[in-house]
Amino acid sequence: MKFYVCIKMVPDVNAPLQIKDGQLIQDADRQILNAYDASAVEEALVLKEKHGGEVEVVCIGSAKASETIRKALAMGADKATHIVASGDENFDSGSYARILAKFFEDKEYDVLSLGKQAQDTDAGLTGSMVAAMLSLPYTTNAVGLKAQDGKLIVKRQGDTGQEMIELPTPCAVTCSNDMNEPRIPNLKGIMASKRKPMEQVELSSLDLSEDELTASTTVLGYEEKPEREAGKKFEGEADEIAREVAQLLDTEANVI
Amino acid sequence: MSTILTHIAIADGKIKRSSLEVLSHCKQLADQGGHSVEAVVVDSNASSFVEGIQKYGASKVYVVEDPIFKNHMNTPLLKALVKVMESANPSVFAFASTESTKDILGALAANQNAAVLPDVSSFELMDGGVKAKRPVMAAKIISNTQAKGDTVLVSVRSGSYDLAENETSAEVVNVDFCMEDSELQAILKEIISASGDTIDLNEAESIVAAGRGVKDEEGQKLISELAQVLNAGIGASRALTEAGIYDPSLQIGQTGKVVSPQLYIAVGISGAIQHVAGMANSKVIVAINKDPDAPIFEISDYGIVGDLYKVLPPFIEELKKIKN
Repeated sequence: MKFYVCIKMVPDVNAPLQIKDGQLIQDADRQILNAYDASAVEEALVLKEKHGGEVEVVCIGSAKASETIRKALAMGADKATHIVASGDENFDSGSYARILAKFFEDKEYDVLSLGKQAQDTDAGLTGSMVAAMLSLPYTTNAVGLKAQDGKLIVKRQGDTGQEMIELPTPCAVTCSNDMNEPRIPNLKGIMASKRKPMEQVELSSLDLSEDELTASTTVLGYEEKPEREAGKKFEGEADEIAREVAQLLDTEANVI
Repeated sequence: MSTILTHIAIADGKIKRSSLEVLSHCKQLADQGGHSVEAVVVDSNASSFVEGIQKYGASKVYVVEDPIFKNHMNTPLLKALVKVMESANPSVFAFASTESTKDILGALAANQNAAVLPDVSSFELMDGGVKAKRPVMAAKIISNTQAKGDTVLVSVRSGSYDLAENETSAEVVNVDFCMEDSELQAILKEIISASGDTIDLNEAESIVAAGRGVKDEEGQKLISELAQVLNAGIGASRALTEAGIYDPSLQIGQTGKVVSPQLYIAVGISGAIQHVAGMANSKVIVAINKDPDAPIFEISDYGIVGDLYKVLPPFIEELKKIKN
């Protein structure tokens, strides 16, 4: 199967965050491969190892994104396309989806996969947007993938249970990071990644109008989450403190 | 005057409370701005829910009823919503942020060329669009985001708004719907696990969540007993769903469900940011953990430092007494 996996470079959400004058201050050195995308790469590699085929990653981003792309290549992806953007653009999910849809319109593949959301915006829109733009059968929030008779069998997590969905190819799927533990590139993989092909495509060569790239949503600013203050802490005899808290839930918090 | 359309989600034969929360908020926005609020229900048994929807103030209810909706699949739902949007021509179309919503929101926005704000914790109308607060970066901070366009789609986290009854006599519009099997792009083969008789966490008033500290069957039994006394839903941390102890649909956190019940009892959960991202908006948080330095205590209203196996039996016993 030919897999295209769309990946994104995101700030490390585990790094300390600072907000100054409504702007988010991020450590430029702590940019990582989006964890959900890493799971999508891993799952594609597992299917390739089982059934053969090819895994190509596609990433829209500034020159710096090439580090993120190398990570995916070091994991085992065969090749990569870097759609080079300046990094100063104000893209939202719609802009990313239109770029990807344009890129894929003349490509051949069986499965186009992405992480179910990006860790920075937590929007989770791009996958189903691209699928709609390319009129592909799709499903989201996959927790398991299987290839069978040229079809993709997706186990997805729904609201109350897991659903088995059969998708004819070509199709699109978004992946949860519950489906696997993405492999950590070893030295051999890292060395090999340097020799793997990484094609650069200039955004301007994709023939998208200004309108198509313009975001319909704008972040006006960031603010701290109202802090939850630590309440009362009870230490002592288990029996006593358990009874006391139960009583307080009734009389003070009023939630029983 | 413009139209605010609200999607009413149905699960297990019931209207999802989170959709009625969204409808309640939309009704308020509509009254303030002189707009009309309408609702759409798509289900194999859609007409039976009209009465329940009318209580919350929609002036018109679009009903799309077809056996095809028995099994959730994105293609028929998208087709139905596109059809209703063409009639209703909403300036805002609001959803409860459920997994089913997440499955179609981007595709619907792309199809309708609409702006979209997913998973907001609050939103208001502004000139030419919508302004919203969205938790981002693993829900560590809030972004203030605006969306401009003739149509803006919004999905709202459950528990963001209170229910407000507002009885009206809504006009009911039955929408013709027909879909051939050949149009179905994705085929649902089976539903392989369902939490069945457990309570939907997005809808639960109270949640008892189990973490790594719950080590064995005895611990799970205590969790079930506590949940039963409180009529609470049972949730779990990623460690326990990955270990196969609890169904993956019960996972709470950045990856799993984002919940905001009235009462959240975290049992044996340390409070990693990924878990906190899914439950920090609960109204009252109780934590039971034997590590006095566990980060969960920093966000808990009531923190019990102790071994859950010793704390839970008297806690359950006392709650039973209060309940009786």
